[in-house]
Amino acid sequence: MAWRVAWVALCAALWAGLLITGCGGRPPADEKPRIALIMKSLANEFFLTMEQGARQHQAEHADRYALIAEGIKDELDVNRQVQLVEQMIARKVDAIVIAPADSKALAPVCGRAIAAGVIVVNIDNKFDDAVLADRGLRIPFVGPDNRKGARMVGEYLAKHLQPGDAVAIVEGVPGAFNAIQRRLGFEDAMKAAGMNIVAAQSGDWEMAKANRVVSAMITERPDLKAILCANDSMALGAVAALRAAGKLGEIKVVGFDNISAIQELLKKGEVLATADQHADRLAVFGIEYALQMLERRTDPEDRETPVDLITAEQAG
Amino acid sequence: MRGAWRRYMSVADYLGLGLVLAGLIAFFGMTTDHFFTVTTLRTIANQIPDAIIIAVGMTFVLIIAGIDLSVGSVLAFSGAVLGVALVRWGWPLGAAAALCVGAGSVCGAMNGLFVIRWRLPAFIVTLGMLEAARGGAYLVTGSQTQYLGGSIERVTNWGVGGLSLPFMTAIAVVIAGQVLLSGTAFGRHMFAIGANEETARLSGINITRIKLSVFVLSGALAALAAIIHCARLTAADPNAGIGYELQAIAAVVIGGTSLMGGRGSVINTFFGVVIIAVLENGLVQVGAQEPIKRLVTGAVIVAAVIADYYRRRLEARSA
Repeated sequence: MAWRVAWVALCAALWAGLLITGCGGRPPADEKPRIALIMKSLANEFFLTMEQGARQHQAEHADRYALIAEGIKDELDVNRQVQLVEQMIARKVDAIVIAPADSKALAPVCGRAIAAGVIVVNIDNKFDDAVLADRGLRIPFVGPDNRKGARMVGEYLAKHLQPGDAVAIVEGVPGAFNAIQRRLGFEDAMKAAGMNIVAAQSGDWEMAKANRVVSAMITERPDLKAILCANDSMALGAVAALRAAGKLGEIKVVGFDNISAIQELLKKGEVLATADQHADRLAVFGIEYALQMLERRTDPEDRETPVDLITAEQAG
Repeated sequence: MRGAWRRYMSVADYLGLGLVLAGLIAFFGMTTDHFFTVTTLRTIANQIPDAIIIAVGMTFVLIIAGIDLSVGSVLAFSGAVLGVALVRWGWPLGAAAALCVGAGSVCGAMNGLFVIRWRLPAFIVTLGMLEAARGGAYLVTGSQTQYLGGSIERVTNWGVGGLSLPFMTAIAVVIAGQVLLSGTAFGRHMFAIGANEETARLSGINITRIKLSVFVLSGALAALAAIIHCARLTAADPNAGIGYELQAIAAVVIGGTSLMGGRGSVINTFFGVVIIAVLENGLVQVGAQEPIKRLVTGAVIVAAVIADYYRRRLEARSA
């Protein structure tokens, strides 16, 4: 309750601030385009970083647009996200920048938003092409190529292995677009370098689950040389499993996302490499694209954003 | 006479679950190359201490005909407190661990308080705590996984005869729990409350004290599990323990504890946890994919409970 009061007070203060700055000759607050940012779970560090990046960008460009940022409770709460989009249509926002919790289920409601004259930009998790085509929708995807990023990490790992080495993949939640893309990227790199993928299991993006899965994997395949994890949380779990089994250093681990908790491990060499898709900029790229579309009414085209390889040298 | 009967009953108890376990081990031993090894044993022993400790608390709660859905979130929250105390405040491990257990106990005490004072269903109160403690975990950590490293690794490195400190702690908790349950007045009162709370009250049992203790115990054990969980992963993850409550309940029920209260055993809960862990490990080693793993796990949980039903019927006939 106290939090809610504090929150309301904070919002009121921010609005007051906006109105006051809005009086200084600049156009009033309500004439600026309003952009809604709809994300997945704000409990997830990745989306939190995304949101903070967006808020900072808005603060620096307060004269260009107003931001409404919303998230859902957990990443599978599709229903709630549909409701959020509907609310945003009702509030007559100018653009919606969305990281869909489900690449298929969110397409119809975004179609309704477009029909209502709202510009929709897709970030993070790409809408399913077949569903978009089926509904005759064109929603631009602004984001990194996860497959390319994973391939980059895999290629760097391959330089530290011998052709024919046994490797294993720890995937994200089965069926999630990013999980599939990253697995494909890992597979591309491993096959190209002649490695032998002997196991692939889901770690549900989660540390403890990956820890259990990896513990069992290394028992069954003592010849394993490397484990490719589709995110850093799972890489942390994998490293803990190797430490418990006394195989740290023997088996190489790579991750994806470059979260803060992985930095220490990168420096120590316990994690060989990860990929940074610039979480703090992801929402901003989407917002800037939406602004561009609002200003110039350009045609929706996909736009690729950078993914960088992070190794011990770049670790912060 | 009564002692002998009790002994017979408990041996039969362990026999049923032991057979299920032996069956699983034999199956995985035949279908994989490396399941039947000491490494697998050590892996499983290293994986389950937190699950065992949570399940012991859950056994007590189910015996008094309650339920505690908050254990996974309480684990995350108290683990978050531990992580922040160690990393941000630079506390020594002992003090941070004490604070962690304190945090878990407070969550448990709040559960107990609401259940007793306003006579609310434990299901709703602990469901509320499941949400609130998770929120607390996000607040405390700023939604970021805290890398712990250093001092906490010692917890898992200590050990005697190849058994880690967490595993021995879990075994100690199981033994202490079983003694508390079957050897003390407190334990008998728990069964009495679970069988019929009104009768227990009329016979002069201090319901408030026992119920509150059980919920505090469940919270404190979840926090103890959090220490072990964080030590194993050398990280405090605000998303830790999601779904642990259901896994604990499954293990406890496989162990023959009644969801309606009044009946249960800590040692059988231990077997329940081991069965689930063997299943999970074995399925990974077989190379089964996620959909199959879930199908099989679900089927084994139900099959184990059905097996327990027939064992009890057999017992009732021979008694």
